[in-house]
Amino acid sequence: MGLLDKLSGWLGLRKKEVNVLCLGLDNSGKTTIINQLKPSNTAAQEIVPTIGFNIEKFKSSSLSFTVFDMSGQSRYRSLWEHYYKESNAIIFVIDSSDKLRMVVAKEELDNFLSHEDICNKKIPVLFFANKTDLRDALSSVKVSQMLCLENIKDKPWHICASNAIKGEGLQEGLDWLQGNFPFLSSYRDNGENGSQN
Amino acid sequence: MSSVDSSGDGGKWLDAHYDPVAGLYTFSSCIDLADLSGDRESRLVVGDLGTGSSGMKLKVYRGTALISENSLLDLPAGLVAFFMDLHEPRIPAVAVASGPCIYVYKNLRPYFKFTLPSLDINPLEQDVWQQAREGQIDPVMLKEMLESIRKKADVPLSVRSLRFLSLESDEVDEFVQLYKQQPIRRQTVITCIGTLKKSTADEDGISCLVIGTENSDVFILDPEAFTILCKMSLPTVPTIMDVTGQFDVEFRITVACRNGSIYILRRESEKPKYCIELSSHPVGLVRVGKNMVVGCTDESLQGFTQKGKKLWKIILPAPVTTMAAMDLPTRGLQAVLVGLANCQVHLYRDKNLLSTIKTPDTVTSICFGRYGREDGTLIMTTKGGGLMVKILKRTAVFDDMDSTPGPPLAQSVRLNVPKKTKLYVDQTLRERENGLAMHRAFHMDLSRTRVAAARAYVKALESSLTPMSSSLSKPLKMNAVVQGLGPSFKLTLNIQNTASCRPIMNLAINFLYDDNLYRIRNPYMKIPLLVPGLIYPVETFVECTSDKGISDIIKVFVLHEEKSSPLLTAHINMPVSEGLVLS
Ligand SMILES: Nc1nc2c(ncn2[C@@H]2O[C@H](COP(=O)(O)OP(=O)(O)O)[C@@H](O)[C@H]2O)c(=O)[nH]1
Ligand SMILES: [Mg+2]
Repeated sequence: MGLLDKLSGWLGLRKKEVNVLCLGLDNSGKTTIINQLKPSNTAAQEIVPTIGFNIEKFKSSSLSFTVFDMSGQSRYRSLWEHYYKESNAIIFVIDSSDKLRMVVAKEELDNFLSHEDICNKKIPVLFFANKTDLRDALSSVKVSQMLCLENIKDKPWHICASNAIKGEGLQEGLDWLQGNFPFLSSYRDNGENGSQN
Repeated sequence: MSSVDSSGDGGKWLDAHYDPVAGLYTFSSCIDLADLSGDRESRLVVGDLGTGSSGMKLKVYRGTALISENSLLDLPAGLVAFFMDLHEPRIPAVAVASGPCIYVYKNLRPYFKFTLPSLDINPLEQDVWQQAREGQIDPVMLKEMLESIRKKADVPLSVRSLRFLSLESDEVDEFVQLYKQQPIRRQTVITCIGTLKKSTADEDGISCLVIGTENSDVFILDPEAFTILCKMSLPTVPTIMDVTGQFDVEFRITVACRNGSIYILRRESEKPKYCIELSSHPVGLVRVGKNMVVGCTDESLQGFTQKGKKLWKIILPAPVTTMAAMDLPTRGLQAVLVGLANCQVHLYRDKNLLSTIKTPDTVTSICFGRYGREDGTLIMTTKGGGLMVKILKRTAVFDDMDSTPGPPLAQSVRLNVPKKTKLYVDQTLRERENGLAMHRAFHMDLSRTRVAAARAYVKALESSLTPMSSSLSKPLKMNAVVQGLGPSFKLTLNIQNTASCRPIMNLAINFLYDDNLYRIRNPYMKIPLLVPGLIYPVETFVECTSDKGISDIIKVFVLHEEKSSPLLTAHINMPVSEGLVLS
């Protein structure tokens, strides 16, 4: 039923829980995406948002999703940085129609990628150029240019245009993610990536 | 789009958008941010002055795109977004002040027009036009009479009469024919506009409009009925306005005026409560908490308390073009943005420069606040019609270091000065009252001292009193004593080494004299080593060989063995020999 079933099926080969961090500015569509991904029987456990800080979490078999808004006040920053360490994959959501805040998204992405708990980890980063259905939205190519994604050299990354409301583009993204989990690759090809993670 | 620090602002701002040809010509008073759709996304509302006399528009931006345009009939003097009712969803209205009217827009559609009440008309003026209407006077006569009214009247003439007076003689007939049947009206125009919360301090509480007029009045309007709730008068025309407080509780209207003063109006007082007289004209006025920051034409920025006490003044590198408040309560940041004519925008907290933003063109309007979904957005428009949007980085911190030259912080620390004594007060009073006389007495004494010193110097030169050596390495002092009645005299030269510790050696004394008159026993004498401080008497005898009762000068030279020029010279005026008379 849920888009995640296949993914978690794959991951089910591992006993360990997999943490996916879903980031992005507020209003980029994270909650909408996560709701699309949720298997219908998963009960979302939502942490009551404090002002300026909002975390959503849900678990599906061995997969745990943590979602938070990267905008708001900086004093809550340490709260979300706390989750960086345990993350195994990143989903970064961008509102393609918000041209004005593209610089803010880039700034947050750069800060995130240079964080000490992230910069040395070879975890996959999946970008959703979301809301591409809107009339004045930028294309995913343009979004990737504005975020200077070509500069990310040490992590596998991928960008997908998406429409979270209709669920378009999400499957493509998850398929890519599936193929790029470091421990999955190592499971399949020990020689090359075994030293990672 | 890169976060490279190209604008020299220390990497505190993200360049979100820059359109150099946006065609926006406006000032800070005609720009505001408001959530016009009730979707928690703020729009940028601009009263565009256009170019020259055309193209005045009310423009609305969402993000980087212009989403709405409305033509304006006249140049906008001010624009504010305000809540005029309690309807849900909470969407503010936009008020544009232009000419004598306020145009209110709701949902970006014209909703209501308020016109200022007309002013009293000079009864004489009315009479004269009445006579013109009845054909009793011709236009020439009308012109003469209006001219005389204009000169002495305390109530100014209407625009119609002023216009009439400025016409060429071939146009007057037609003008009178055209207008004589119409009633005379005298209108003032709005110069500035602000908002004042009615009774709650809530963000979305209903607000009254506050307007300043060319007629030197300030009106507070009811937000629902648009009736005048309150009228206050100023001594001069207000140009910039800041309003704080609530109409029903307590409020404070601060206005910068065309006479170079700032007046502060309070609730329940028709006249200004405080006045600040500036040394030059105000260009911008921003309230920061309870204090006011004023930018003036003399390139200065000054801070005042709400009661008008001056706190500080700094000199800016260029003339001020515009000013705006930067208020970011979530980060506890309150500062003042100052646009300068040298293509810079300075950010000041009190008198301390926090950050400098370089702009490609001179900035004419600044607005800081929530735009779209971003709280710390800085919007600027430029002289060339450009639109610039910058977003404050979440990680930006402003150091509050005292970077401006000026009095150090320690200077404003209060010293524990003892109380003034009666003696002190009496003395101060005396000094204040007799300042001129004291100054003169001082100068008289100073002149006297100078004369006395000059006299003493001349005397010393003339009489060679205790001459002193000018040589630094061999400082010497000498005086001469002549004893006896003649013809034999005893000449004693007292020589002193005035150096602090160094002895002087190899000195000799020589005399120059008229050998027809005098004979000196030892015309050349060696001086022993001179120990510093001690006085050495060197003696010799002088015989006067003349019997004519005359005397002459004997010159004494103190010489150093290796130098040809003397260290010291003294002239001794010899007394007349009296011994000859006896013999
Ligand atoms: N048109 C459009 N709207 C979207 C899309 N994704 C999300 N939204 C809308 O954007 C708004 C914010 O979405 P939300 O998931 O709450 O964003 P979050 O703050 O990142 O969690 C909601 O009104 C969504 O309906 C999309 O792909 N297209
Ligand atoms: Mg959300």
